[in-house]
Amino acid sequence: MMVVIFDRLGYFFHETWLSVRRNLTLTFAAILTVAVGAMLVGLGLMARSASSNALGRWQGGVQFEIFLQPTISGAQIDALGLELRNHPDIERIEFVTQKEAHELLQEILIDEPEVLEEVAPESLPASYRIVPRRTEGELIESLAAQFRERPGVYSVETGRQQIDAIREWFNSFRWIVLLMSIVLSAASVLLIFNMIRVGMFARRREIEVMKLVGATNSFIRTPFILEGMLHGLVGGVVGAVAAGALRNHVEDLFGRSEILAFFRSFTVSSSQFNTAIIITIILGVVVGAVGSAFAASRFLDV
Amino acid sequence: MIRFENVTKVYKEVTHAVNDVTINIEKGEFVFLVGQSGSGKSTILRLITAEEVPTGGHVHVAGKDLARISSRRVPYLRRNIGSVFQDFKLLPQKSVYENVAFALEVIGRPKNIINTQVPTILELVGLADKQRNLPNELSGGEQQRVCIARAFVNRPLILLADEPTGNLDPVTAQEIMRLLDRINQTGTTVVMATHDQKIVDQMRRRVVALAHGKIVRDQQQGVYS
Ligand SMILES: Nc1ncnc2c1ncn2[C@@H]1O[C@H](COP(=O)(O)OP(=O)(O)OP(=O)(O)O)[C@@H](O)[C@H]1O
Ligand SMILES: [Mg+2]
Repeated sequence: MMVVIFDRLGYFFHETWLSVRRNLTLTFAAILTVAVGAMLVGLGLMARSASSNALGRWQGGVQFEIFLQPTISGAQIDALGLELRNHPDIERIEFVTQKEAHELLQEILIDEPEVLEEVAPESLPASYRIVPRRTEGELIESLAAQFRERPGVYSVETGRQQIDAIREWFNSFRWIVLLMSIVLSAASVLLIFNMIRVGMFARRREIEVMKLVGATNSFIRTPFILEGMLHGLVGGVVGAVAAGALRNHVEDLFGRSEILAFFRSFTVSSSQFNTAIIITIILGVVVGAVGSAFAASRFLDV
Repeated sequence: MIRFENVTKVYKEVTHAVNDVTINIEKGEFVFLVGQSGSGKSTILRLITAEEVPTGGHVHVAGKDLARISSRRVPYLRRNIGSVFQDFKLLPQKSVYENVAFALEVIGRPKNIINTQVPTILELVGLADKQRNLPNELSGGEQQRVCIARAFVNRPLILLADEPTGNLDPVTAQEIMRLLDRINQTGTTVVMATHDQKIVDQMRRRVVALAHGKIVRDQQQGVYS
């Protein structure tokens, strides 16, 4: 007698366990896919901010920048400006004052106001940004060399080609990330759709009774859509955390390695970081909502 | 209360499950639908609950032409109709009390209403002492009474029963009929599809006989055949 009862119980728990495990696998797969997709979106957004932060001053064809000594006199600045403007190989120049340089620094150091406080606007170099007529490397190098030793010139920074390569690299990274996140978002929608479909099938008796006694479709649907959104939210949060951790790891790497020192200017401000994280999480929730709403409307026709 | 005007239901373009049926059922009537298997009894009940849409003709329920109400309003129509089935359709993991309360919860009735209505209805169907039991701990007759309690707890205008005694022994079937009769006495319109000749003959209510989807007899205080 006891044996029969235990057999029954054993069978019952076994069946329940099987169904839970089936659902766990599905749930886990759905959340994981959402997480990876969301993480890629987060990284893509951060890469975008980072590259536009770093490349900000190299816009509009600016190929190199001549930084001036803080002690340079107004007359010297004007003389240098006149010479640059009349130079046959130079198309256009932009003058950046010390105050403007300080404002730019303010943007970059927005998260570190205590560092900014240490920097007086007078201690920053004013600069000329140069747009040459042609962009061959030798021309730029020879132009830079012509002005490097002038009195009042602090330094000349070129690096356009390098910047172009990096920009290209970042751009293709962004495209790959975008493409992958679209594919993964679609996969997430399908997985959540399937998960909700399985859930609705498991609860088909309840749904049948609900329809019978006059529950509205939205009443029947809501818990399923909430379930999908919850899974999306969990996936989005996991993805956001992963993206954040990766960003810190990468910044750390840039900071330590000499080879990667160039990348140091590729940083993300905390407001850009927060925006990326929030968008990442919202994306997860939206994916969950779309997948489950799709399933709920599909399998709930009266 | 229920009016069919030349209603036809064709399945898969060949089966005329209901064929040009015109019938009028007044408020408070008790009507038996009889006829051979496949004659269209269940289809008529599903047309009343708008689970099926007629191929032709018009179905009016509680003063409304079902062709004119949007699918979003169908749930509200169903709140006026209770349904009872041969196989009960109870939720196995919920207790008797929870099965009945479920019907009110999912249409958004407040807790205090549920807490008073459910014990009242369980008293009415004679299951007050079994409310904590699960359906599989009950006899067939008791399960059917739970099903009736669930159908009637919201005090619908109409109660539809599709072979409610089909799975029950004659004595239990009698008890179920007494219960349906009491519900009818409260003014509820009852439509019951059945094969049970004894019950029909003994109740002496209106009998609508169907054959191949057509009404072949409509008799007040009628008999089975
Ligand atoms: N969903 C459906 N699709 C196709 N044909 C159907 C469908 N439902 C019912 N039918 C057909 O319509 C006809 C009437 O069926 P219905 O269920 O109304 O009969 P019934 O009188 O309730 O029979 P029973 O006494 O066996 O319950 C039958 O021929 C049946 O095969
Ligand atoms: Mg039938």
